[in-house]
Amino acid sequence: MMDFGFTINKSSRIDLDRFDKAGFDKLAKIEPDVRKCIACGSCTASCSAGQFHRTSVRSAILSIQNAKENEAVELLKGCMLCGKCQMTCPRGINIRHLILSILKFYGTK
Amino acid sequence: MNILASYSSIDPVSSQEFIDRIPSGYSNFVIPFVAGMLFILTYLLIGFIRVLHHVPWPDRKKFLISLITPVTIVKNIKDMVLDCLIHVKIWKRKPLLGYMHSSIAFGWFMLIVLGHIEVALFVPRHLGSISGGGLFYPIFYRFFVWVNPDHETMRGNLLFFLMDFFLLYVLSGIGLALFKRVKSIALGMKHTTKPSIPDRIGLYCLWLIFPLRLLAESFTADLSGGSFLTRPMNMMFKSFFGNSLNIMPTWWAYSIVLGIFFFVMPFTRYMHIVTEVLLIMFRNAGLKVRKPRKGFAEAEIYACSSCGLCIDACPMNVQRKNLKFSSVYFIRFLRRHNNKRINDIAQKCLMCGKCLALCPVGIDSPAIRQAQRATLMNSLPYDYGYLSSRPAMSGTYPKVMYFAGCMSHLSPGIIKSMRIILKSAGIDYVFADEDGGICCGRPLMLAGRNDAASEVMKANKEMIENSGCKVLVLTCPICYKVFKEEYDLKGIKIVHHTQLLDDLIARGRIKVSKDGRPIVYHDPCDLGRGSKIYEEPRRVLAAVGELKRASKERDESICCGGSLGSLSLDHKDRGAVTEGSVASLMSGGPEEIATACPLCLRTLGEKSPVPVKDIAQIVCEHLR
Amino acid sequence: MEKNVLIIGGGPAGLEAASILQKSGYSVTLIEKTDHLGGHLAVWDRLFPKGQSAEELLYRLVDNLGPVNCLLNTDIQSINVLDRSFSVILSNGNILLADAVLLACGFDLFKAEKKEEYGYGIYDNVITNADLERYFQEGDGGRIINPKKIGFVHCVGSRDEKVGNLSCSKVCCATAVKQACEMKQRFPESEVFCFYMDLRMFGRYYEDMYLEAQKKYGIRFIRGRVSEVSEKGDKTLLVKAEDTLSSKPIMVSLDLLVLMAGIRPSASGRRVGDMLHLMNEEDGFFSTKDSIYSQQKSDIPGLFFAGAGTGPKTIPETLNDARSSALEIDRYLKSNFPKKK
Repeated sequence: MMDFGFTINKSSRIDLDRFDKAGFDKLAKIEPDVRKCIACGSCTASCSAGQFHRTSVRSAILSIQNAKENEAVELLKGCMLCGKCQMTCPRGINIRHLILSILKFYGTK
Repeated sequence: MNILASYSSIDPVSSQEFIDRIPSGYSNFVIPFVAGMLFILTYLLIGFIRVLHHVPWPDRKKFLISLITPVTIVKNIKDMVLDCLIHVKIWKRKPLLGYMHSSIAFGWFMLIVLGHIEVALFVPRHLGSISGGGLFYPIFYRFFVWVNPDHETMRGNLLFFLMDFFLLYVLSGIGLALFKRVKSIALGMKHTTKPSIPDRIGLYCLWLIFPLRLLAESFTADLSGGSFLTRPMNMMFKSFFGNSLNIMPTWWAYSIVLGIFFFVMPFTRYMHIVTEVLLIMFRNAGLKVRKPRKGFAEAEIYACSSCGLCIDACPMNVQRKNLKFSSVYFIRFLRRHNNKRINDIAQKCLMCGKCLALCPVGIDSPAIRQAQRATLMNSLPYDYGYLSSRPAMSGTYPKVMYFAGCMSHLSPGIIKSMRIILKSAGIDYVFADEDGGICCGRPLMLAGRNDAASEVMKANKEMIENSGCKVLVLTCPICYKVFKEEYDLKGIKIVHHTQLLDDLIARGRIKVSKDGRPIVYHDPCDLGRGSKIYEEPRRVLAAVGELKRASKERDESICCGGSLGSLSLDHKDRGAVTEGSVASLMSGGPEEIATACPLCLRTLGEKSPVPVKDIAQIVCEHLR
Repeated sequence: MEKNVLIIGGGPAGLEAASILQKSGYSVTLIEKTDHLGGHLAVWDRLFPKGQSAEELLYRLVDNLGPVNCLLNTDIQSINVLDRSFSVILSNGNILLADAVLLACGFDLFKAEKKEEYGYGIYDNVITNADLERYFQEGDGGRIINPKKIGFVHCVGSRDEKVGNLSCSKVCCATAVKQACEMKQRFPESEVFCFYMDLRMFGRYYEDMYLEAQKKYGIRFIRGRVSEVSEKGDKTLLVKAEDTLSSKPIMVSLDLLVLMAGIRPSASGRRVGDMLHLMNEEDGFFSTKDSIYSQQKSDIPGLFFAGAGTGPKTIPETLNDARSSALEIDRYLKSNFPKKK
C-alpha cells in the first residue's frame, strides 16, 4: 500500500454486524418489554432528569441495538426513577424495571 | 401393679391435701420433654446472642436503655399481653379467628402459669430447683401428686376447675384450627398458608399435645384429682379399661410429643411464640430494619407466625399466580436463605403496606423488602452531577411553597385547580417546580438505591431551605411522606393539600357549596396507611358532596395498582390490581371517585366506569 | 309482498345501502337516533385528499334515498332474533318485523379529556379534530382568534395502552395533514406543527397531500409524541415532546393545540350488539363472519354490517362497504325467500 501520509478515520457508520444478540436476548428475558418500543419519544419528553442532562430510554434501547452499550448506560445514569416515562408510554412498557435491568446488565462489571 | 403399695411409707392420715406420690419427683417418661426443653433453651440463647450481635451498636444501646425505662417496660408488658396472648389485632378484624389464636396462646399460657401456682402452693420443694425437677415438674404435676380424698379444699378444687376449664378452652381452639385446615373461609380467611414439612410436624404435634394431655390427666384423675372434664373421662376409661395400666403410655406420649415439638420448633413457624416477645421489645425501643437478614430483621423473620393473613391482604392476589409473592412466603424464603426467590418477590411488591397493617405481629415486610432491594440495587451506577449545575433560586419568595412533584405534572387538572383555590383563598405562594423539578427521591428509596436518593434529597433540601419558605404544600402523597419523614426540614411545616383544603374550609378562607352527588373516596397508600391521614380528605368531601363508603377503606383500602413501589409488575398485572380496587370503590354506588394522589388518579381513571377526580378538582368545581 | 330491511344508523353507510336496497325493490326502513341524517359526515367541512365538500356528498346521498322510510330521533328499544326474521321494538313504540337488518351505527370519537396530560377540558386553547372541523363549517363563537402558532397532536387515544386502545385509527393522520393545510389557508401567517409517531398516508393522493403540506404550506412535521402540555399565564400553551429524529427534547409555545381524537366503537352500536349477543373482538369493534372474505356478514343469518362498526374506514371505503352489504342482503333475501319477489 502506498503511504499517502494520512490515516483513514474510523467510520461513524453503525455496524449492525457487531450487535450483541445473545446479550440482548438475555436482557429481553429479564424484561421482555424491551422489544416493544416504537421509539415514539414520550419517555424522553417527559423525563424529569431530561431537562438537565440527556436521559432517554428510547435512545438507550437504540444504542444497545446499535452495538453501543456504553452509550446506553451513559444515557440512563441520570435517571431518578420518578416514573413519568412509565406513565406516558403508549406501549405500556415497564420502563423503570427496564432501566434498572440495563444498568445492572451493562453497567456493572 | 398396685400403685398404692408404694404409698406404704406415707402417713395415711396426713392432713395434706396433696401428697407427693413420687417423692423423687422424677420418672423416666420426662426425658423426651427435658431433652427437647434443653435443646430449645440453648438454641434460643444462641439465637438471641446472634441477633443482638448483628444489631448495630447505636441500636443496641437504645435497646438496653429501653429495658430499664419504666414507660417502655409498661408498654412492653401491655403489648405482650394484648398481642402475644390475647391477639387483640386479630379479634378486631376477624373475631372467630381471634378466638382460635387466643385460645391456644392464652389458654396454654394460663395452663403453664396455673401449673406453677399449684406446685408453688402444694409441693413447693419441687419448684425451681433442678434437683427437685423444677424444669419439668409443673408440666407433669398431675402425674406426680396424689390428692388426699378427705382433705380437698375449695382452693384445690378451684384450681382443678381452672385447669380443666383452660384445657377445654385450648381444645376448642384446636378444634377450630383443625376445621380451618379444611375450610379456612369459615374463619374469614380466603387463602391460608401452605405449610412446609417441618411446619407440618410442628402442627401435628401441637394438635396432639392437648388431647394427649387430656388423656393423660384423665387417666390419673382418680389419683391426682380433676374437675368437670377430667373426672368424667376418668370414669369412662375406668369402665372401659378396668385398671390404670394406661397411665404410663399416655404420659410417655404426652412427653414425647412435647419433646418432638421443641426439637422441631427452630425450623417451624412456632418460633414466633418466643421471638414475638423479643420483637415487641425491639420495636418499642425504636429499632428499625437495617440489613434484610440480620439483626432486627432476623427478629422479625422468626417472629412471623406464618398465619397467612397477609395473603388475603395483598392486592396482587386477585390473580392466583401472585399468591407466591405474599409476605409470608417472602419471609419463609428469607429464613431459608433462598436468594433467587427472595429477589424475585422483593422486586414485585407494590409496597402498599397492607400486609403490615393486617399483620397481627406487626412485621414490617415492606421495610425488609426495601432492605433486600438495596443489596442488589444500591451498587448500580448513577450520576447526578447535573444537579449542582442548576441555577440557584435567588430573590425573596412568599412563605408558602407549592411543590407539585413529578406525577402532578401529568395531571394538569390538579395543578390548575390548586392555582384557582390558592388564589381564591388569597394565599401568596411560589410554585417551585413549575417548569419541572427534581424528583423527591422516594422512588429511588423504594427501589433500594439509598445513596442515589440521598444525593437527590440533598439538592431538593438545599433548594427548599434557601427559598426561606415556612410552609411546603404537596399534592402528591409520595412526596409528602418522604418530605415529612426523611428530609428533616427544620422549621418548615409540611402539608398535604387535603390538610390544607380542610383547614381553608374550616376557617372559611374558601367557601364551597354542597350538592347531593354521591362520591367515594379512595385512600392512597402513602397518605392513608403511610401517613395516617384519613379524616381530613373525608371532611373536605363531606363539605361538597355526599360521601359514601368503599367496601374496603382507611387502613384496609386496596392499592390502585399504579404504585411506584413495584419494580417488576407489568402493565397487565397492574390492571388486575386496579380492577380489584375499583370494584371495592364502586360498591359504595358513587357517581364520582375522589382521590388525593395524581398516580391513583391516572391509574384508577384507566379502569373506572365513573369519572375519577382529585379532591382539589372537586373542591374547585364547588367553589363559590 | 316486498321483503323489508331495517337499517340502523343514518350515516353515509346506512344512506348508501338504503338507496341501493330500495332501488332493488325492497321496503327499507332507516332509523337514526339523532335529529339529522349523515352521522359524522354532517359535521364535517371538507374531505381529504382533495378537499371535496362534505355537504355536497351528504346532499347526494340523501337525494338518492327516494321513498325510503326515514325515522329520525328513533332508537332501538329491543330486538330479537326469530326464525327467519327480526322482531324490533323502536323507541317510539312501533313494532317492526324485519327480514334482514343492517347495522350501520358507525363510530364514536375518543373522549380526549381522558388524556389529561394534554389538558382538553382544562386549558382553553386545546381542542379536538371534531371541534376544528365544526369551526371550519360554521365558526366557533370566537374561541379561535388569529392563532400565530398551531400544533396538531396525532394518535390521541389510539395506539395507546394507557387508554386501553392498541389499534391505529387509520384516518386521523390524513385528517391531521388536511386540517393543518386548511389552517394555513385560513391563517397564512401562522406556523403549524404536526407531532406524529408515524405518518399513515396510505391512500391515493395522500402522499401528495403530505408533500403539499410541506412544500406549499411549510408545515413542520416533528416525529415525537407529545408528553405534556402546560398553560402559561396568558393562556398560551407550552408543549413538550421529543424530536426523536435529532434525539433531543423539544418544547414550543403554541396558541392553539388540536388533538386528533381516535376512532372508537360506537356506544349505541354496542348497545344494539349486546341485545343481539354479537361478539366483539379485542379491539372493541364487531366480529365479522370472516375477516378477509366476509366483512359484511355477521354470525347471525340476516344480520349485516356496513361502515365503521367493523373498524375505522374512510368515506370511499364506507360507501364501498355499504354497497357490498346491500349486495349481500339482496343475495340473502333472494336465497332465503326464493318464491317470493
